[in-house]
Amino acid sequence: MLSNKRSMLINGNFISGLVLAALGSYIFTQALNWDYMTIEGPGPGFFPYWYGLAMVFLSLLLVASAILEARTSENPKTVNWSEVGRALSAWLLFSLSVFLMKYLGFLIVLSALTWFVIKFMYQQNQKIAITTAIGISVGFYFIFAYALQLNFPVGPLGL
Amino acid sequence: MEILSGLFNGFSIALQPLNLLWCFAGVFLGTVVGIMPGLGPAATIAMLLPLTFGMPPTSGLIMLAGIYYGAKYGGSTTAILLNVPGESASVVTCLDGYQMARNGRAGAALGIAAISSFVAGTVGVLGLMLLAPPLAKIALSFSSPEYFALMILGLAMVVLLAGDSMIKALLAMLFGLWIASMGIDLFTDASRFTFGSAELLDGIDFVVVAIGIFALGEVFANMEMQGGASLLPVPKGMRELLPTMAELKACRFAFFNGSVVGFIIGVLPGAGSTIASFISYGLEKAVSKHPEKFGTGVPEGVAAPEGANNSETGGALVPLLTLGIPGSGTTAILLAAFVLWGLRPGPLMIQDNPELFWGLVASMYVGNVMLLILNLPLIPLFAQILKLREYILYPIIFGISIVGIYTSSSSFFDCWMLSLFGLLGYLMRRLDYPTAPLILGLVLGDSMERALRQSLMMSQGDLSILYHRPIAATLLFISLLLVCLPLFRNFNQWRIRAIEDNG
Amino acid sequence: MLEKVSLKMLDLSNSKKTGMACLFIYMLSPFSLHADFKPTKPIEFVVHTGPGGGSDLLARFIVQTVEKENLSPVRFQINNKTGGSGVTAMTYMAEKKGDTHTIAVFTGNWLITPLTRSETKVSVKDMTPIARLVLEPALIAVKSDAPYKTLKDFIEAAKKSPGMLKQSGGSSTSRDNVVRQLLMKSTGSNWTFISFPGGGERISALLGGHVNVMVIEPQEAGEHIRAGSLRVIAQVAEKRLPGFSNIPTLKEAGFNIPNVPQVRGIVMSSGIPVDVISYYENLFYRLSKTATWRKYLEDQQFEDGYQKSAELSHFIDGYTDQMREILKEAGAKVIR
Repeated sequence: MLSNKRSMLINGNFISGLVLAALGSYIFTQALNWDYMTIEGPGPGFFPYWYGLAMVFLSLLLVASAILEARTSENPKTVNWSEVGRALSAWLLFSLSVFLMKYLGFLIVLSALTWFVIKFMYQQNQKIAITTAIGISVGFYFIFAYALQLNFPVGPLGL
Repeated sequence: MEILSGLFNGFSIALQPLNLLWCFAGVFLGTVVGIMPGLGPAATIAMLLPLTFGMPPTSGLIMLAGIYYGAKYGGSTTAILLNVPGESASVVTCLDGYQMARNGRAGAALGIAAISSFVAGTVGVLGLMLLAPPLAKIALSFSSPEYFALMILGLAMVVLLAGDSMIKALLAMLFGLWIASMGIDLFTDASRFTFGSAELLDGIDFVVVAIGIFALGEVFANMEMQGGASLLPVPKGMRELLPTMAELKACRFAFFNGSVVGFIIGVLPGAGSTIASFISYGLEKAVSKHPEKFGTGVPEGVAAPEGANNSETGGALVPLLTLGIPGSGTTAILLAAFVLWGLRPGPLMIQDNPELFWGLVASMYVGNVMLLILNLPLIPLFAQILKLREYILYPIIFGISIVGIYTSSSSFFDCWMLSLFGLLGYLMRRLDYPTAPLILGLVLGDSMERALRQSLMMSQGDLSILYHRPIAATLLFISLLLVCLPLFRNFNQWRIRAIEDNG
Repeated sequence: MLEKVSLKMLDLSNSKKTGMACLFIYMLSPFSLHADFKPTKPIEFVVHTGPGGGSDLLARFIVQTVEKENLSPVRFQINNKTGGSGVTAMTYMAEKKGDTHTIAVFTGNWLITPLTRSETKVSVKDMTPIARLVLEPALIAVKSDAPYKTLKDFIEAAKKSPGMLKQSGGSSTSRDNVVRQLLMKSTGSNWTFISFPGGGERISALLGGHVNVMVIEPQEAGEHIRAGSLRVIAQVAEKRLPGFSNIPTLKEAGFNIPNVPQVRGIVMSSGIPVDVISYYENLFYRLSKTATWRKYLEDQQFEDGYQKSAELSHFIDGYTDQMREILKEAGAKVIR
């Protein structure tokens, strides 16, 4: 019984279905604030009204089928959280880079990101990490900033 | 006869050494900007426009048009190798192109993309040359109800893009529709889903979503495991770099389909190349003998959309050159270029400036050959990127994604959105939601809503305008067939199983 | 040489003599007045559309003319700050307070958007007007096989069957719709406005007979008129355009509604010293008098809208008030 419940909770369809149902209801309620029909034709609320409603309906269907599946299936899929953790930390790292780019400039942040990925996420030795980090930044500089004359976010050192 | 003499005249202009040089410069630059995500042909043409003031208009046009169709060739490269759509129209190429690369057929995919681009690009010019004036008139009879039906046909493709679960595909599509409706409503000036942020008034740029979901989502998913099995196999030797005869044979219909669908949709000012590539991909899958293999790396899945987005160029030039009507951002800039050169694009332009029209047409034949010659030898070079270790490749993809987004808008906000959609792309992969329907909804949602509202405004709210017109009715009927397609298949499977059980 | 040219221009111009005369004095003695400020690094030129948009093409032409005519000792560098219907670029300019090396192209949108959008935190009021450059007139056109020979015919037809006639145009705050609202209000008629995002789609709808009328730019319409597929029934301009001397303006046709010009010009951020303002004012004055610029205006069928800083500031106030009234009447929620 307990394991059944747990598998239901970690079931991705169940959770994502609920999230999408919430989003659908949000869209639907927002749509109610806008005109559904105007004198000239359908208003800004017309379209969101219908796809919001469809979203709620379909996501609830998904939730229902997830519950049914959880009841019947004997071997619920387990999630390897360490894998998910690695992917999410990669995402956090990327977001952090976007944040720092405003202050440090693109090239410095790209080198740091590269170095970090190689050194810590792929555990290569320092030499590879540093040379690649510098190499990639120099390459980006030459291809995009120098040859194609595109402008990057620039940091304090003018890089 | 008139066409032959015009064409002869055109070649005598296009083959002048200086014009050949400008043509090459154009297609070369086009290939480069096509490869770079974010940097599109529209921006490039606008930036180079001042350079062309000193040239004769024909040379200038030959070069700028070269950038336009050259970019379509280049767009497939990063789509196939890195799952980064280099251009909005290359999104569909990612679906099977990147899978082919994962199967070790990167070279073949690039080769097929180049060949299909060449075939369809040439067919597009042929159409432009032979059919321009009459087709432009027909395109004018296309109005909002027809566009609505066309968008419905596009959205019906979701049936073909769905993976295991139709519900999830539909949900992804609805999510795309939601993103599409963000921003200022054109009709009433109401702002929808902007969360009080000024940056969202124009909605979210399609490229941000596409690169986030396709490229970043894929990278995050691949980074789940250190040194996982996801490293792409590197093609070795010429044999693995080129498409095999069997693969080319499988693409025969796709070459034709892509050329025709792309050209027809290109002629319509309100459609665009992304829609063209989606529809031709869908059509290819619908008539295929093995539709279930689409999305796992079939060559037709690369040939059809790549063809469509290249012949779209020839189609899009039809309303531009015969009516002075631009159908897309890029053609709008070409139109501005005409005006700055002191030419007046419109219904009389071909008559008044035959050397311009025929020079351009001839240069496009030449340019397509140049592109093929330019692109085929580049394949082994580009394939080298697959030799890079994954820990080098991923930071490069991060960098290219940011550069692609930032340089087109100089906006940190867009970079944040990119990161957010990267996360969404990862979660969708993790939870088995297909990503293509989301892009489909995003591309078509806006146009569909607009066309629907325009139609109902035209008819004072009478719904019959949507199905009383012959073209619209036909398109809606085809969409209905498409939606019913899986039902037929299921029924068929059930029938076969029933027979087998009995036997 | 330059003085001679500007002298000629003075003789030709028939309006704002005093303003021109003042500038003329500037021209004769540029050093005594502007020696204080000289740009020392490339000038950042902010544009709110992506490459190829209306303002972007104007900016690129300005950059090119400045280089060709040697009007500035430093380069102009275009920076496309797109997004938010211009709000992103406006916010960026507001943040550049006191920056003497950043200028921006503004359009009527910069004046209108802050009126209705709660998302905007800044307006042109937070910036320094430098120069108004162009006014873009418009034409009212119908398909050539339409029964309407004059605007009056069209209005009469619209009165007969309210809401049945259709106009294709841009967004609901665009000039197209403002002109329609004003016309409908002053004549008591009523027709439908259908929005299309792209200029190409608008003309296609008119040429294909899916709508009946359109407010169109002269340059867009020119070839269709010559080919006989469109007919112009009135022009939205102060005075008749050279290419359309037989078509009445709205006022001449008997419709007494305020003129709604589409305007473009140059602004800087707030807190700019006086000598810097007059430096840029002078630069754009000289630009507006070059032959290259004249030809550009003629090709694009724009009206020369040159105004210096003080006049432009006055214009902006008047324009904003006028638009506020028009938007209110049209039923838009005006928040400022």
